[in-house]
Amino acid sequence: MIPSSGPHIRSGTRFVGRSVPRREDRGPLTGGSRYIADVKLAGMLEVVFVRSTEAHARIVSVDTSEARAVDGVEAVFTATDLAEVESFPDHIDSIGPVRQRPLATDRVRYVGSPYAAVVATDRYVAEDAAALVAAGTEYEPLPTVADIQQALAPGAPKLYDDWDDNRSVDIAYPRPEADRAFAEADHTFTATYVSQRQTGLPIETRGVVSDIDGGTLTVWTSTQSPHMVRTTIALMLGVPEPQVRVIHPVIGGGFGVKTHIYPEDIVVPWITRRLGRPARWIEDRMESLLASVHARDQRHDVEVAYDGDGTIRAVRCTSTLDLGSGEIFYPGTAPVFATNSCITGAYDLSKVQTRAVAVVTNKTPSGAYRGFGIPESTLVIERVIDRVARLTGTDRAELRRRLLLRPGQTPYVMHAGGRIDSGSHAESFEQALELAAPALKRVRARHAHDPDVRVGVGYANYVEPTSPSYFRTTGHWGGGDAATVRVDPDGSVRVAVGLSAFGQGAETTAAQLAADALGVSPSEVTVVLGDTERAPYGLGSWGSRGAMMLTGSVMLASERLTAKARAIAAHMLEAAESDIVLADGAFHVAGSSQPSISWAQVATAAWIRKVDLPDGMEEGLETSGYYHPEHLEHQPDDTGRFNSAASWSNGAHIGIVSVRLSTGEVSIEDYIVVHDCGTVINPALVEGQIHGGVAQGIAGAMYEHLQYDSDTAYPRFASFMDYLVPTCAEVPRLSVDHRESPAPDQPLGVKGCGEGGTIGPPAVVLGAVSDALSEWGVELTECPVTPVAVRAALRAAGAARGRAEGNP
Amino acid sequence: MTILEPVSEVDVEVTVNGRSHRHRVAARLLLSDYIRDTVGLTGTHLGCEHGYCGACTVIVDGDAVRSCLMLTVQADGAEIRTVEDLAPEGASSLSPMQQSFHDNHALQCGFCTAGILMTLESVDPTDWSEPERIIELLSGNLCRCTGYQNIVAAVAQAWNSEGDV
Amino acid sequence: MKPAPFDYCRPATVVEAVEALGSAESGRVLAGGQSLIPAMNFRLTDVSLLVDIGHVTDLPGVDTEVAGVTVGATATQSRVLNDDDAARVVPGLRAALRHVGHLQIRNRGTVCGSIAHADPAAELPALAVAAGAVIGITGPDGHRTVAASDFFLGPFWTALSDAEVVTEVHFPAAPVGSVTSVDEISRRAGDFAVAGLVAVIEVGDGAVRSARLVGFGVGGAPARLASAEAAMAGWAPDHPDRRLMEAAVEDTADAFDDIHATAWYRREAVATLLVRAARRALANGETS
Repeated sequence: MIPSSGPHIRSGTRFVGRSVPRREDRGPLTGGSRYIADVKLAGMLEVVFVRSTEAHARIVSVDTSEARAVDGVEAVFTATDLAEVESFPDHIDSIGPVRQRPLATDRVRYVGSPYAAVVATDRYVAEDAAALVAAGTEYEPLPTVADIQQALAPGAPKLYDDWDDNRSVDIAYPRPEADRAFAEADHTFTATYVSQRQTGLPIETRGVVSDIDGGTLTVWTSTQSPHMVRTTIALMLGVPEPQVRVIHPVIGGGFGVKTHIYPEDIVVPWITRRLGRPARWIEDRMESLLASVHARDQRHDVEVAYDGDGTIRAVRCTSTLDLGSGEIFYPGTAPVFATNSCITGAYDLSKVQTRAVAVVTNKTPSGAYRGFGIPESTLVIERVIDRVARLTGTDRAELRRRLLLRPGQTPYVMHAGGRIDSGSHAESFEQALELAAPALKRVRARHAHDPDVRVGVGYANYVEPTSPSYFRTTGHWGGGDAATVRVDPDGSVRVAVGLSAFGQGAETTAAQLAADALGVSPSEVTVVLGDTERAPYGLGSWGSRGAMMLTGSVMLASERLTAKARAIAAHMLEAAESDIVLADGAFHVAGSSQPSISWAQVATAAWIRKVDLPDGMEEGLETSGYYHPEHLEHQPDDTGRFNSAASWSNGAHIGIVSVRLSTGEVSIEDYIVVHDCGTVINPALVEGQIHGGVAQGIAGAMYEHLQYDSDTAYPRFASFMDYLVPTCAEVPRLSVDHRESPAPDQPLGVKGCGEGGTIGPPAVVLGAVSDALSEWGVELTECPVTPVAVRAALRAAGAARGRAEGNP
Repeated sequence: MTILEPVSEVDVEVTVNGRSHRHRVAARLLLSDYIRDTVGLTGTHLGCEHGYCGACTVIVDGDAVRSCLMLTVQADGAEIRTVEDLAPEGASSLSPMQQSFHDNHALQCGFCTAGILMTLESVDPTDWSEPERIIELLSGNLCRCTGYQNIVAAVAQAWNSEGDV
Repeated sequence: MKPAPFDYCRPATVVEAVEALGSAESGRVLAGGQSLIPAMNFRLTDVSLLVDIGHVTDLPGVDTEVAGVTVGATATQSRVLNDDDAARVVPGLRAALRHVGHLQIRNRGTVCGSIAHADPAAELPALAVAAGAVIGITGPDGHRTVAASDFFLGPFWTALSDAEVVTEVHFPAAPVGSVTSVDEISRRAGDFAVAGLVAVIEVGDGAVRSARLVGFGVGGAPARLASAEAAMAGWAPDHPDRRLMEAAVEDTADAFDDIHATAWYRREAVATLLVRAARRALANGETS
């Protein structure tokens, strides 16, 4: 049961800090919400994309004649039909240009690459015709590159003929002080850690619907960033931006997958323009696994310099990201930089030298997934600390205590320039340890008499950069966002924001913020978002930026609006402006609540009754605010350092697992989260974000893995039988506790909480299972931790084979 | 009812949420598409079309089924219930389970919610209200947003308070 | 993911169904459709005529007698799972069905359909072999029966010919004093097994008298684990596990690798399940 208000309520706010029930719920509960697949237009055509069945090949020919002859097929388009469409931009000079075409022209670089589009009156018929196009396609296969090692091998087949090799990015950040520390340290070790390929996998796949009316294109798409989609459609189709309207309907989850701008976002509106008819494409699950971005496919080669007392003197880390074919906009390179810059997590470690490499392979393009490189960096540092603890005989928790950032150390500038503004790094860990102690005792007691079971505990302390700059990610967009607040003549409030929403409760949150800022009830606030025609230009929702951007922009716009309203009210009350206060939704002179002027009276004066306005005052009661966080930087300095996040949430995760020795089965028996995202606007929503994030983190730690055949680069997944999204039975009960270290530079102290949950579990599970198997010296270095992986580790460690109910 | 000569289209009569529908449908038309596109009830969602995610779960003759794994012709003569049938008709209120989902923040994006609600609606709570049975029951529906925590809580609350009454 | 076009018919009798199947180029029987329809949605299966036996009236339901349980072709997994009489006579039915899919799948999926489908990772084919079930088949030449041990030929491959329908499966009553267990390791709740074991174990005097053991999710077709059965006869808890496990590993030489597990893991896991089954049977046998 969710508390209706928590410890988070603070004076001066009436709704911020409360678990205000969500206004978004009724639609999904009753079947009334309109998701992308529910957008239906009269005369709408169905589009099906034909996708490469080869991992790497030249397209010799595509015979579309049979498909065109199918009854109900209106058109079949290939790359040549789209010749006048611009390529996706390569905005970033420092990464290899891929010159991505909306449909592949003469070469395909991954299974799933779209190269033709069938348009028919019926989806079933379109699929029939698409099968005929596929059958009529002749390929000339090229040698394939299936993984990082193959991509970097001397003489490897190249994906892009004009590149020197398959490296899209290779940037080292030399740090002489790290080299010196290596020379001075007692000991060093090297290790390699691997995070496997996964995908965010919203249960709703992607989709695009487009319509044309006169010259104006309206595009509904399941995007997290409608304005960015509009800008890109306008650019690529050569249409003036005002003639493109992009709307995101209700969205069935995004998790970063829907931040990218995909070929279908361009081709479907192009088809509508070409044919003059509405069209829609709904991604199916099989193509979604191939056509929506993958993520997390990283290898980390680490060197650590340490002393006998457990002191970690320096770390060198080369992180290599498998980009897949790289054919995605914005490019998928950014997570490896996030990994690099956050490699020290919540710990005070400054002597760090990193190198970021991204390589192209014949796999689905990789890109964003909730956590964006930080689950990977956290995995690395937590494994490093556990290893140092083991090598030096230091208690694992104690070693973390020594390293964690302490009160008074913030703002703390990390090795790569990240400026941790505040936080409760050490305190959160202590709190989690306290919660974990009795749990660990319980779990140990539960299995005390089973010789086939071992119990282990795993730790992760992390920082979560929130509201980051998008400039190094997209090469184009920045990091602020906008809100417009209007009070209509009847006194009702309309808030329009550049944020988007796909389940987080942004509408409810925005209404809470506006209600407090304007002294009204959330139910009086209409929230508008996700429509480029009705909401101000904004970058959408990603990077745990929703809460902070909403707060900053809504408060800024509301302050401006309130200032104007106060002036109007003062005039109407014949009082000095400085004497006017706003309380309970009305303006009055300080000290006497009567007479008072309501928002409706102010708004009526502003919009309609010019005679009630002060002389010379402009009419209208609508203001905008564009919020840009104070310390957010967009470009690195000469040494490659910059603070790319507006604020830094933090948290501690502790997991307690039991491992069945004979089968390698792992069960998470308790999972504790202490989380600090600054000021909490809506505790229920924050807790929900943590829950979902942790579940996705566990998915990556133990279940989900997009595997490719190493000889052919063919995907070894096509369904939910292959890609193991956890069910209710796999996700343990979670204990979540909150702390609040307000962001010092943000209007309400809000930081952001969208991604924190996903960050901890891979590190926690690797650490806990390794701990459980410590008597055999097992140190796991790769996710996912599967029963096979556990058994393989035990066998490699020389443990005798497990017995059903006896010692191994 | 018997059709001996092979046909590619079939006349079906189906009751959906108490309303009778007659259509001539393609033999290959999935029940999920029939409900969404032909009948026009889009509260039933498609998440995988291979019977794993459970988003398309509806009730056919009292049983929860994956509507993506059923042909419309197989539902000929059947009574179907969808999420649109759960809230008391004409009222602004919600069913106790819907209300519990709302109260417990048991949905985020909401895409999987209809399938979960229909699964829950199809069973007798007295057989399923134990905590481990709730988890077993819910394990046929994927949710990607909530980590299932608040869904389990919502179900437990709704069924336990029903039991108390 | 929509099925390719096909023709459809809906016979009222088994004979009509068989005739329809015989007339088609690639006819398929539609019962519950919980394996066939996904395959059709993926366009992995070529079907010219779908013969819907959902309205066939001359099929058995779930008939339980002292000698065993006969399950007709249209009886759903849920119906059998919830049948207390069937569970009493053939406890393996309930034990196996608990692992099959999820509620929504069991509500449509049929026992006979699972057996005809012959997924090597499925529980019911393994149960059929372990329990000594007899598969009833009707085809153009009439009705015939095939022992389960002769029915499964390989992955998704059975003794069924194109124009034949599995009309019923007869599961003989479990031997008095036997303990049937269906145990498996799967990656997620409800998934097909990475490794599984059906064991029908007769116990007496604190030791195993005889065992019928069938692995699933391990090799191509469910088959008795002959060496393990021999090793288990006479086995008692104070005997070493090693002999049982080695025998099981020997019996599973055709284990396969896939994305979920390696062959060696599967063999080792079946061996582990086997010891577990023996210990539990002896523990249960003594309490009962």
